[in-house]
Amino acid sequence: MIGVAVLGYGFMGTTHLAAWKMMEGCSVLGLWGRNRAKLEEAASRYGVEPITELDNILKNDKIEVVDICTPTYTHVELAVRALEAGKHVLVEKPMALNLGEADRMIRAARKNGRKLMVAHVLRFFPEYMRVKELVDGGHLGEITSLRAWRGGPAPEWSPWFMDLEKSGGVAVDLAIHDVDYAIWVNGGLPSRVYAKIVNLVHKEYRVHDFALITLRFPTGSIAVIEANWALPKTYPFTMKLEIDGSKGVVQLDNQTPIPLKMWTGDKVEGFAPETLPWKPGVHPFPLDPFYREIRHFVECIIQDRKPITDGEEARKSLATCLAAVESSEKGAPVTVGG
Amino acid sequence: MYLVEKVRTGFLGVAHFHADSYAQSLKTIPQAELVGVFDRDKGLAHEFSQKFSVPTYDDMEKLLKICDAVVITSENALHHEYAVKAAEEGKHILCEKPMTTTLRDADELVGLVEKKRIVFQMCYVMRYHTVTSLARDLVVGGRIGRLLVMVGTNKLNRSLPLLRAWFTDKSLSGGGAVMDHTVHLSDLMRWISSAEVVEVYTEIGRNANPKLQVEDSFLTTVVMGDGSIGHIDGSWTYSSGHYTWGDVTLELLGSEGVLQVDAFRQNVYFISSEKPDDRLVWHYYGCNPDLLLVKDFIQCILGGGKPRANVYDGRQGVAVTLASYQSSMEGRPVRPG
Ligand SMILES: NC(=O)c1ccc[n+]([C@@H]2O[C@H](COP(=O)([O-])OP(=O)(O)OC[C@H]3O[C@@H](n4cnc5c(N)ncnc54)[C@H](OP(=O)(O)O)[C@@H]3O)[C@@H](O)[C@H]2O)c1
Repeated sequence: MIGVAVLGYGFMGTTHLAAWKMMEGCSVLGLWGRNRAKLEEAASRYGVEPITELDNILKNDKIEVVDICTPTYTHVELAVRALEAGKHVLVEKPMALNLGEADRMIRAARKNGRKLMVAHVLRFFPEYMRVKELVDGGHLGEITSLRAWRGGPAPEWSPWFMDLEKSGGVAVDLAIHDVDYAIWVNGGLPSRVYAKIVNLVHKEYRVHDFALITLRFPTGSIAVIEANWALPKTYPFTMKLEIDGSKGVVQLDNQTPIPLKMWTGDKVEGFAPETLPWKPGVHPFPLDPFYREIRHFVECIIQDRKPITDGEEARKSLATCLAAVESSEKGAPVTVGG
Repeated sequence: MYLVEKVRTGFLGVAHFHADSYAQSLKTIPQAELVGVFDRDKGLAHEFSQKFSVPTYDDMEKLLKICDAVVITSENALHHEYAVKAAEEGKHILCEKPMTTTLRDADELVGLVEKKRIVFQMCYVMRYHTVTSLARDLVVGGRIGRLLVMVGTNKLNRSLPLLRAWFTDKSLSGGGAVMDHTVHLSDLMRWISSAEVVEVYTEIGRNANPKLQVEDSFLTTVVMGDGSIGHIDGSWTYSSGHYTWGDVTLELLGSEGVLQVDAFRQNVYFISSEKPDDRLVWHYYGCNPDLLLVKDFIQCILGGGKPRANVYDGRQGVAVTLASYQSSMEGRPVRPG
């Protein structure tokens, strides 16, 4: 039995918790947060033990895995402490806010011989996996361009998102999903980045809410990634992808193939079973991307394999997003490296 | 103002497929008369003459003598020569995009058209599409607040440029996808924002069709004079099995809302049960912007109105396109000339 502690019980913490609860061979031994009352409420909902003292997690030998779902600016300290304490670490994306922090995490994992995986969940979405399979199977031929679109209302549910210093803004927080995906399908880092990353509508915050990032890969393949927090509150969270290649084109859009819709009063809700948390006996297939992502991490621990988005791999998308911010500030293309 | 009952219209060059659509449109307009066709390729001229029951002319000058107006749908590189000849003769001109392939030619044409006081209309057909026009009205009416971002695609089925050899022959086309598919979007952006493009950054990628001499894949970021940001993808990279010719999409982001256009989305799906056509195809039932464009041209000539896109708009399209090539070559943002 692998003992697990989840740090943070917000949007991602509860999403991960739901997946951990279904994971065979794993047991959540603690949920951490600072605010005791709120923590206890969440912990009782998921039937896990609330822990406010981090050391009680780090010193507990039964806990092998620490899953970090706290705000981005807290990742580096929590991850390094957990790795130093001999835990395997799963950390939400973006792994950190700068490359110095990312490198500290990577070094700590290496030094302590522990797994570090960054939760780039897009690689576990069934539609994005299917596209990757098509690319790898040669169905598209040589990839020539990729268009990715991701957006919805700004994540104002938590104030820290709307602070550039804490979240990195829309480029580092949101565009990084598609940047990581573009790096995955193109086989590595882009050579050149050009971007416009701005505060469009949320003038009350110091944060970027719109990013338009152009990438050029060493093969000559190009990509454009739009990440958007500048949309009205009624806008459904949407992701789109289009990849063109010498032999064909793939397109996907999470708003089109909604197999189940429900109207209740003034609200319409759409459901795709693949992206709902899997409930045994309720949903027939364990296709939830968060479940798959965490399953992958668990298998990497059991089989001593390298996670698909380990520290080094995740560092690439962070480096690219930071280069994009730099390009936007300079008004010129930037080479990715360092 | 002189009065004619019918605008006698001739075609100077029919190498571009759009010639057929404009001719069909002209045929439905009572105040217009199709009087002749010239093309340096006699075969093409003959085909066109059969299709639209119109005489061919081997000599452009002779055709010009019997025309009030001309439609120039030749190879891009010949637009300038034909337009100058027609303008010199005082003929009204409907010109396919891109207006010219050099800025020098574009400027010369602007001067000449102003001097001759003719109607010169660019075939910026998206200014006539009801959906893009509606989008512009909504933006101008303040419905999405201040306009901040415009992201567009005008992608093309990759098999289409292969149907006529000149499209991929740089000496006749002036270039590939950048030359062909920058202007519709750059013009829409100018039209909707009432601002000029002041900065262009373009990445031309490796080709989807490596056999082409010209580029077929590119991404362009622009900045407008009012500070708004734009993005253009006019690649010729849709699959040759694509259900329709391509697309025009535009996302308009404002301080108070967002508007999304998919201009050629109105289609019924049809799937034949017979091979080899047993795949999904779309039958478009949306508005016919070509007809509205040609009608406006004829009305401007008869009624003295101003076309929605004039010779200067043509020039600005050329400037953005050429800046795009320069940016890609130099690896930096460039200000259009
Ligand atoms: N993969 C995805 O699709 C996805 C989606 C959204 C977010 N994320 C990422 O997941 C991470 C968490 O995001 P979220 O939306 O879950 O955040 P959230 O809802 O704000 O939750 C944050 C949690 O962390 C705890 N926390 C611990 N230290 C904190 C501190 N110093 N400041 C604030 N909260 C602190 C909070 O509880 P206490 O206040 O009790 O400490 C809370 O439970 C971020 O890195 C984010 O970028 C990923």
